[in-house]
Amino acid sequence: MAGQHDDHDHGDHSHNDHAHDGHDHDHFHRIHSQEADALLMSIADIEISARVKALEELLTQKGLIDPSALDAVVDLYENQIGPKNGARVIARAWADPAYKAWLLADPNAAIADLGFAGAQGENMVALENTADVHNVVVCTLCSCYPWPVLGLPPVWYKSMPYRTRIVRDPRSVLAEFGTVLPATTEIRVWDSNSEVRYLVVPRRPEGTEGLDEAALAALVSRDSMIGVTEALSPEPA
Amino acid sequence: MLSAADILDILATGATTRIEDPARAPAFAPGDEVVTRTLSPLTHTRLPRYCRGKRGVVVKVHGLYALPDVRAIGDEETREYCYAVRFDMRELWGPQGAATDSLTIDLWDSYLLPAPAEATP
Repeated sequence: MAGQHDDHDHGDHSHNDHAHDGHDHDHFHRIHSQEADALLMSIADIEISARVKALEELLTQKGLIDPSALDAVVDLYENQIGPKNGARVIARAWADPAYKAWLLADPNAAIADLGFAGAQGENMVALENTADVHNVVVCTLCSCYPWPVLGLPPVWYKSMPYRTRIVRDPRSVLAEFGTVLPATTEIRVWDSNSEVRYLVVPRRPEGTEGLDEAALAALVSRDSMIGVTEALSPEPA
Repeated sequence: MLSAADILDILATGATTRIEDPARAPAFAPGDEVVTRTLSPLTHTRLPRYCRGKRGVVVKVHGLYALPDVRAIGDEETREYCYAVRFDMRELWGPQGAATDSLTIDLWDSYLLPAPAEATP
């Protein structure tokens, strides 16, 4: 796969991007537990963290980047831009049918109307979940994700197990997220491989008729806007 | 060197390769059946192996975008129409795919051919 990061086979191996040698390779491919996935992710995290730190130090030493600029980017996506933005969009769509129609027809404009726009959200498409159709988003090639409304993607979204399995067997993967859909529900997987970014509009939960937009937004989880879960149910009064 | 203010400005503005060109009509429209080409480039592509040589249907025309295959090797100018194309899971995975479900992926003109008419029984 040299130079071909996004051109992997979608076979049954969950860990085919990890270049383990010899014995370790066989060993890891025999393990198919969530614990093994978690272990592999943590090893990958450590490797990536070390690599990022080394790159940052080198680029800073060479005067190519300003560390304060990196801090500003991290602060932006850790503290300012995140799934609360998307939740406001969804809550408005639930509360206002005209806004929902606008969101589905012209998502860039409707999302910008609430103040959200920018990098990795330039070409949005909104996907409405209904009683009959459930949408779920993946980027099999890397980690494409709508930053202005969802922030940065969770680790599992970038993991090989999610990326390889959701396109092959979405119903089982959704069930592992606790999302058990009726057998008749059509699952539409969207492989986000272009400059277009997808936002799932989850179904409005039952028992939310009296709630205002702020209360509705609290029910809109990040995962429900990726499509691996449904929106949260309101606490019983 | 980019300052924090520069980078925040870039992130707030965003960037896209999408262009509008009324002189160029898309080759396919929603509802058109297409077949993906069987390409195996040694360089970058956004046509994953799992959907090469498969029959699907265009569900949306996204617009004119840079073609990643050539942009990755220095061509910033080429634009092609990009479409959301839907495949039945059984087309992608054979009889073990779920009959209820589908996969939609964004594909460019260079990846697509008009589907031949289905053979009549």
